[in-house]
Amino acid sequence: MAILTINGLEKTFKHGSTEEKILKGIDLDLPEGEITALVGASGSGKSTLLTIVAGLQKSTKGEIFFADENLTSLNSNQVRNIRAKRFGFVFQQAHLVPFLTVQEQLGLMLDTAELKWSKEERRQEIKAILKKVDMWHHRDTYPDSLSGGEKQRVAIARAVIHQPEILFADEPTASLDSKRSKEVMELLTSLSKEFRITVLMVTHDESALKYADYTIEMKDGLIE
Amino acid sequence: MKMAWKEIMKSKTRYLILGSIIFLISLLTMIISGLANGLSYDNASLIKDMPEGTFYMQEEAEGQYNFSSLDGETRNEIEEASSDAMFLSIQMGEVEAADEKRHGVAFVSTANSDHFPDVEAKRLVLDNSIMKEGISEDEKMTNGLLDHSLKVDGFTDQQKFSHAPVAFINHDDFQNMYRTDAFQLAFIEGNEAPVIDGLSQFTNDEFLNTIPSYSAEQLSLNMIVVFLFVISGMLFGIFFYMINVQKIATYGILKAVGVKTSTLFKMMWVQMIIITIISLVLSVGISQLLGAVMPEGMPFLLTLSSSSMMSLVFLVVGFIGSTVSGIQISKVEPMQAINQGGM
Repeated sequence: MAILTINGLEKTFKHGSTEEKILKGIDLDLPEGEITALVGASGSGKSTLLTIVAGLQKSTKGEIFFADENLTSLNSNQVRNIRAKRFGFVFQQAHLVPFLTVQEQLGLMLDTAELKWSKEERRQEIKAILKKVDMWHHRDTYPDSLSGGEKQRVAIARAVIHQPEILFADEPTASLDSKRSKEVMELLTSLSKEFRITVLMVTHDESALKYADYTIEMKDGLIE
Repeated sequence: MKMAWKEIMKSKTRYLILGSIIFLISLLTMIISGLANGLSYDNASLIKDMPEGTFYMQEEAEGQYNFSSLDGETRNEIEEASSDAMFLSIQMGEVEAADEKRHGVAFVSTANSDHFPDVEAKRLVLDNSIMKEGISEDEKMTNGLLDHSLKVDGFTDQQKFSHAPVAFINHDDFQNMYRTDAFQLAFIEGNEAPVIDGLSQFTNDEFLNTIPSYSAEQLSLNMIVVFLFVISGMLFGIFFYMINVQKIATYGILKAVGVKTSTLFKMMWVQMIIITIISLVLSVGISQLLGAVMPEGMPFLLTLSSSSMMSLVFLVVGFIGSTVSGIQISKVEPMQAINQGGM
């Protein structure tokens, strides 16, 4: 069953008087609870597709249905609300907030998702997730004292702490060495399966593909 | 609130610099304001300490009290309009003490006054600031325009005009000195301000501004104070702009994960308020301390209420400055941050 359906999605960028069509009519069903990998050459439009579906930028044409809601018809505040409560994000860089400790990063996400959890529930949930990503011992550490792999593990914990329905991952292993990449992918997979989180992941990393349930290849703004 | 405080604590040096600059500018503003108030009081405490009311002078005087002359007939008209009307004349002059030392004073003669001392002929009551020049009670003072001496009958507190101590004298002596039985000004206390033909009316503040030295002096000092407020507002704007530019990636990512733009603005405002309040508490405290230790010859007057009012203005100016600079927060696109990379 599809958790997200894309119909005839197009995206055109304007550069002065010239126009460049990056997405040329994408139709896609994202299966619930599965990991779908988007692959393709640079410029094929995979990252643009991911960011539009995730509500980070607007499409030029087409529709995106998420749990019966047409995301393209919502205003920016409604989209932000969905991003905060029902989506999770992992980017190429961890993008942690520099002045918050590891556990505060997760607390911020819980505040943003406006979950009505008690203090104790929050504490327990943060502890459980940080233990899962093996970062509990670093709970009071600031990002500037963490390695690249550790930061990415915290970013993954932040992305799933509020139990989103879909996790969007844009090249989550691109800045990591092969050992760290494997760790991060295993972590993403185990969290996805444990919490039944649907994952849409853009990757160049061929080794990451073995963790995906489905692989979709894009070429010149179209799905092949 | 917590996030704002966390950032301040993580970037102590950055916020310490901002706080120090705000502290120094607010301290400078308060000191200059204290001096402006002190000078203003030193210039015209005779008028400033009077109750609110209306001053009257001849229309022909065109707002210059020393050209005004209210003769007996006009005085009767004024008294008919208000039986409580008070009359006064002010002339700059000098008195010579027994040691032949001359002292500049403002001779003031009044009639029907409850606010000023009633002085007998051949006597004078002086502002007590003259005491430190060696003048004491019962001392005899002379003036070249009088053929008799004036005996010091007592002292008053804080009665100065045009930076000179006031010398209250009897109207007969004033008449002998300046060859006129007319008063320059009339004053009616309270809100009642009857219109009288041939006379122009002034509120207390309007009358103060007719004193040439007073308006020029206050205008200059108040301009400095206003500019300091403007500079501090711009400083807030520039500083928060620089901080915000450095945080574009963080803001973008926070927006990407769903943090509201209003939350980011609140964080910035809380930081502005924390920094400003700490700076202002220090500058109010130090300026009050300075007021207490200022040398006697330096007029300085800074009440807690005027310090509080200035603090409020600083908060408003800081709020405007940081908000204007924060407009860029609302323009940050999550994509911009994601593409920029970062921690």
